[in-house]
Amino acid sequence: MGEEGTKGTVHLLCLAASSGVPLFCRSSRGGAPARQQLPFSVIGSLNGVHMFGQNLEVQLSSARTEDTTVVWKSFHDSITLIVLSSEEGTSELRLERLLQMVFGAMVLLVGLEELTNIRNVERLKKELRASYHLIDSFLGDSELIGDLTQCVDCVVPPEGSLLQEALSGFAEAAGTAFGSLVVSGRVVAATESWWRLGTPEAVLLPWLVGSLPPQAARDYPVYLPHGSPTVPHRLLTLTLLPGLELCLLFGPRPPLSQLDPQLLDRWWQPVLDPLRACVPLGPRALPAGFPLHMDILGLLLLHLELKRCLFTVEPSADQEPSPEHRRRLLRAFYTLVTASHFPPEPGSPEEKVEDAAQRSQVPRACYLVSGPEEPGTGWRLVALQSGPRRLLLLSAQSPTHALRGLATHTLHALTPLL
Amino acid sequence: MMASPISCSSRHSPDELPGDPSSQEDEDCDYEDRVSYSGSYSSASSDYDDVEPEWLDSVQKNGELFYLELSEDEEESLLPETPTVNHVRFSENEIIIEEDDYKEGKKYEPKLKRFTKILKTKSLLPKRYNKKNRNDNELVSILKHQSNQKTGVVVQQRYKDVNIYVNPKKLTVTKAKEQLKLLEVLVGIIHQSKWSWKKSGKQGSGERLVVHGLLPGGSAMKSGQILIGDVLLAVNDVDVTSENIERVLSCIPGPMQVKLTFENAYAVKKETTQPRQKKAQSNTNDLVKLLWGEEVEGIQQNILNTPHIVMYLTLQLDSETSKEEQEILYHCPVSDASQKLKSVRGIFLTLCDMLENVTGTQVTSSSLLLNGKQIHVAYWKESDKLLLIGLPAEEVPLPQLRNMIGDVAQTLKFMYGSLDSAFCQVENVPRLDHFFNLFFQRALQPAKLHSSASPSAQQYDASSAVLLDGLPGVRWLTLPQKIKMELDTALSDLEAADFAELSEDYYDMRRLYTILGSSLFYKGYLICSHLPKDDLIDIAVYCRHYGLLPLAAKQRIGQLVIWREVFPRHHLQPSADSNTEVFQEPEGRYFLLIVGLKHYMLCVLLEAGGCASKAVGNPGPDCIYVDQVKTTLHQLGGIDCHINEWLTSSPSPCLSCADWFLTGSHEKLDNLTTSPILSRLPVTSKVATSPTCRILFGDYSLKTRKPSPSRSSGGSDNGCEGGEGVGLSPHTIPNAVWKQRESQGSDGSEESGALLKVTKKKATLPNPFHLGNLKKDLSEKELEIYNTMKLTSGPENTLFHYVALEAVQGIFITPTHEEVAQLSGSIHPQLIKNFHQCCLSIRAVFQQTLVEEKKKALNRGDHSGSTNSISSLNPVKEYGVLFECSPEKWTDQRKAPPVMAYWVVGRLFLHPKLQELYVCFHDSVTEIAIEMAFKLFFGLTL
Repeated sequence: MGEEGTKGTVHLLCLAASSGVPLFCRSSRGGAPARQQLPFSVIGSLNGVHMFGQNLEVQLSSARTEDTTVVWKSFHDSITLIVLSSEEGTSELRLERLLQMVFGAMVLLVGLEELTNIRNVERLKKELRASYHLIDSFLGDSELIGDLTQCVDCVVPPEGSLLQEALSGFAEAAGTAFGSLVVSGRVVAATESWWRLGTPEAVLLPWLVGSLPPQAARDYPVYLPHGSPTVPHRLLTLTLLPGLELCLLFGPRPPLSQLDPQLLDRWWQPVLDPLRACVPLGPRALPAGFPLHMDILGLLLLHLELKRCLFTVEPSADQEPSPEHRRRLLRAFYTLVTASHFPPEPGSPEEKVEDAAQRSQVPRACYLVSGPEEPGTGWRLVALQSGPRRLLLLSAQSPTHALRGLATHTLHALTPLL
Repeated sequence: MMASPISCSSRHSPDELPGDPSSQEDEDCDYEDRVSYSGSYSSASSDYDDVEPEWLDSVQKNGELFYLELSEDEEESLLPETPTVNHVRFSENEIIIEEDDYKEGKKYEPKLKRFTKILKTKSLLPKRYNKKNRNDNELVSILKHQSNQKTGVVVQQRYKDVNIYVNPKKLTVTKAKEQLKLLEVLVGIIHQSKWSWKKSGKQGSGERLVVHGLLPGGSAMKSGQILIGDVLLAVNDVDVTSENIERVLSCIPGPMQVKLTFENAYAVKKETTQPRQKKAQSNTNDLVKLLWGEEVEGIQQNILNTPHIVMYLTLQLDSETSKEEQEILYHCPVSDASQKLKSVRGIFLTLCDMLENVTGTQVTSSSLLLNGKQIHVAYWKESDKLLLIGLPAEEVPLPQLRNMIGDVAQTLKFMYGSLDSAFCQVENVPRLDHFFNLFFQRALQPAKLHSSASPSAQQYDASSAVLLDGLPGVRWLTLPQKIKMELDTALSDLEAADFAELSEDYYDMRRLYTILGSSLFYKGYLICSHLPKDDLIDIAVYCRHYGLLPLAAKQRIGQLVIWREVFPRHHLQPSADSNTEVFQEPEGRYFLLIVGLKHYMLCVLLEAGGCASKAVGNPGPDCIYVDQVKTTLHQLGGIDCHINEWLTSSPSPCLSCADWFLTGSHEKLDNLTTSPILSRLPVTSKVATSPTCRILFGDYSLKTRKPSPSRSSGGSDNGCEGGEGVGLSPHTIPNAVWKQRESQGSDGSEESGALLKVTKKKATLPNPFHLGNLKKDLSEKELEIYNTMKLTSGPENTLFHYVALEAVQGIFITPTHEEVAQLSGSIHPQLIKNFHQCCLSIRAVFQQTLVEEKKKALNRGDHSGSTNSISSLNPVKEYGVLFECSPEKWTDQRKAPPVMAYWVVGRLFLHPKLQELYVCFHDSVTEIAIEMAFKLFFGLTL
């Protein structure tokens, strides 16, 4: 194993906590799913140390070598998830959140009942296969960042109010309170109730829709990990335009076939143009022509109370570095500032809460200059916290002392959007 | 009876020390003085030199010495309860003083040796005699426990055997709660442990068992032969001390006759009519007490309840002997809270083994939850052994823990050569226990370490330790050239080792040691060093570990002598170059000698072998070297007032207090400009009166002026000159310069209070016209200071704190305790605490960068590893965090509390040399870290 190098690989193991039987193992290498697997003996000892500790009332939570981080987490005393990552710049925060998302995805597709009450391991294994696709999308490189921030990836449509109106009207007519418009995994518009969905599913549902192969319509049973982990709901998706899907959550009734096609026409035909404008928005997140400073190469805006975020690396796309590189830089920077400085988002109890005495000194902004010694090279990253909003920017050119001004202005301009 | 003059005169009380009152007068602490002093020192002083040094008794079997003696006043205040118990007078000839029992008993043996020494120094015997003896390892004969071996001259009368009857069956008490209970209950002898802490006497082989009382009706009393004051040496010919007595007695299976061997009280007490000796703090556990003050026991309890552990495990398990816990070579402490961590060692062993197999890199740390508390465990693997340290995350953040385990491994290697030799030798166990006791106290109770200091300094120490203890450097105090040169000369003289007794032709034989280098500390600041960086850091980490640096900061040392063999990595690592032309380190042995006197501490690294003669056995400290180092310290006594002045008013960048920036918004500007001066004022006047000022700045007529608060209020037009001073200089120029300039500017200096009244505008805007004037007045030197002083840009001084590490030389600078103490406020201490914690996480990022850089340098050959580094942020070169803070108690309900914002910025320089800079400044001015770094590092050399 060691000799061929494990650089950049992530191994995710899922085991039944009581028996230690592996339920599945997923791996990815360099951001793409990989077949390479850990030997069974290693899986056994990774689980063994954790179990050994648990028997002695010591919870092993993480371990680090010079280039690898391992995180253990057990859920409901029934499922143990272990992730071993040697990706560069990996951190515990990222892996812990990854495990939460993975368990959320398992519940979403299989239901909590099956996971806590394992009667037939082989059957569970088969059922879990359905979640591989979603789980792999967490392990690999994704254009989205919701898995890390635990906020819903959003885009800002040019004519948001029109779409919002159409959506609310349609959902009401269809007989559900939960409806949203999703473009390549990002939410364009959603009903009030949809926004009130709890943490894992709010991120997971659009993510799931984005990760599924395109289809005109789907009727997909889902459990809501936070809201309804044992009773399944039905996720109905209707492709309005290629890449743009309408998602609705229903109870057992009505079946998809009963949804009146005329209802669709009535509500969506009038807003066809705004809908068309949304389709290319996906990776850009911001409406075309939004004034952004030239220096900004990527941005991540989070609203911690609404749990929504805007993430884009599109501006000045012709310049170095590549979009993947930009995404990685911003992800790494987000992890760094969240783990070490900024208070964790409300509603994520797993974060280490710093002692109250420290709280009188509140971090507001943070910048980092990376790259070789020569002036004018490397990247500059800046983070700014203001009220519930947090903005992270990637820039190449701005001098250090101008970073904060740049961030403040940008945040100011973005505030009406989110 | 010759012992009595010896022990009396061997104590030189602090006020007798040269350089105290008299030598302070002569300003340039002259060479002459020193010569004359050392002359008298070596030749004439029969009342000094011919006596056996008091530390000689504390030398241990392996030649090591840790002798610490407090100065007189400290002694009184620190250890009030110990002597009183033992001051029981029985007769004219017999005084029971516990400490004296301890020492006098031992002083018997080396009588002959002492005699020869006296003869030697009186030139009645050739000195070589003594010297030879020492080479033949005679010195070992003055060891602590020689008297236990019944080989002395006066043995026969001194020991007695007493047979008594004991019956353990009579014991109704099931388990002895207190220490020495069996001795009391079974035998009827009452012994009061010298120190209440129960681990007392672990160092060496324990405390002697002095009979302090007899239990009425006990077997001992019935025998009638045991007297109070006797020392119990053996039970049935098994040597006993307070350490093992309980164990020995508990082995008695049933009713039987037991032979007790005592040392006669009378023989012991024969010479104790002399005044009470100062207690030598040779017992290392006392050091803990000394450093942490009186509440040691409470702290101990507190610490014991916190889960923490150190373990040394072997990965090579002998499968044939499946003994329980055989893989544990060492562990500490033994407490319930730590027991759990010990029991899960399987996790650590498995992780270490497995993760290395899977990932190809060594495991560095792991985290676990124990009773809802997060514990970090750091790993240090060497060959097939594993060193583990576990501490709660709350107390010790992970980056700090990683630094700490590195330091521990480094220190142990420095002290014992390798981790194996440290942990695998049985006789080291008590030493390691003590070592890790100190370690955990430092880690878990940093605030208590500095209990006797002023609260602000204590807080500063505690909050800065998080960062500073992990830096690969020593705290440096930049001194003016003149003083520095003097120190350099003194150290060079010592290192040259051409004083009479050390020169080779004096004894017509090779000298014992070559002095490789030395470094001088004053109040915990390094002020002069002639050691390579690695050696310096090794020694500094050792001193830091034993808390010697804070100790010296508080005038607590009467005398400190430390001697031990060390294994400096710099000299012992095999040379990569096999070329014979290149200098090869001799295969010698190295010894560390630390001598402390008052605020000074001089660390000397000695080499045996090489040019000096080879060391045989475990040589103890050589008196001549110790004396010579001490002389050097004595001769430096004169300039300590200068150093002190420099400490309080050093020309390091001026600092502002955070609280000044926090007051109500409309007064803000006022405060910004005026309050810094006010706070500096007391210092200013002090400087003006002191002789230092005269030396440094020539004979300008300086007038002391009362600090006048009125200066800050009002405004007048004729105050341009003074206003200039307020607007610019107080933040930027050292007090003395400013002072002098001001006294020139406003010739009526009595009125300067009024003159200095300024309007806000004038205060903030420098007047270029006057600036030119002033600059003309300044001498060149002062200009230089002027330029380096102001770290921040803009008219106001916005610098709160800084740490600058010069990694190549192994030194760092940071504001002195005195400077920080001047900036008292409610917010400021919090700011400083936050600064250090933030710097720790910034530094963790930098360390990651350094690791990557090192890897890149290694991979440069094959050019492969450079492309895939896109996912991490490295290399990070600058990192800043903006904090906002507001007063904690804000009573005014109508207004929102004022908010002050400040930056904590770290900057890493890889080229041209490795430097790290951490600064904390107010948000009002945008700063460029490189510029600040340039100013700070300018002229920072050893």
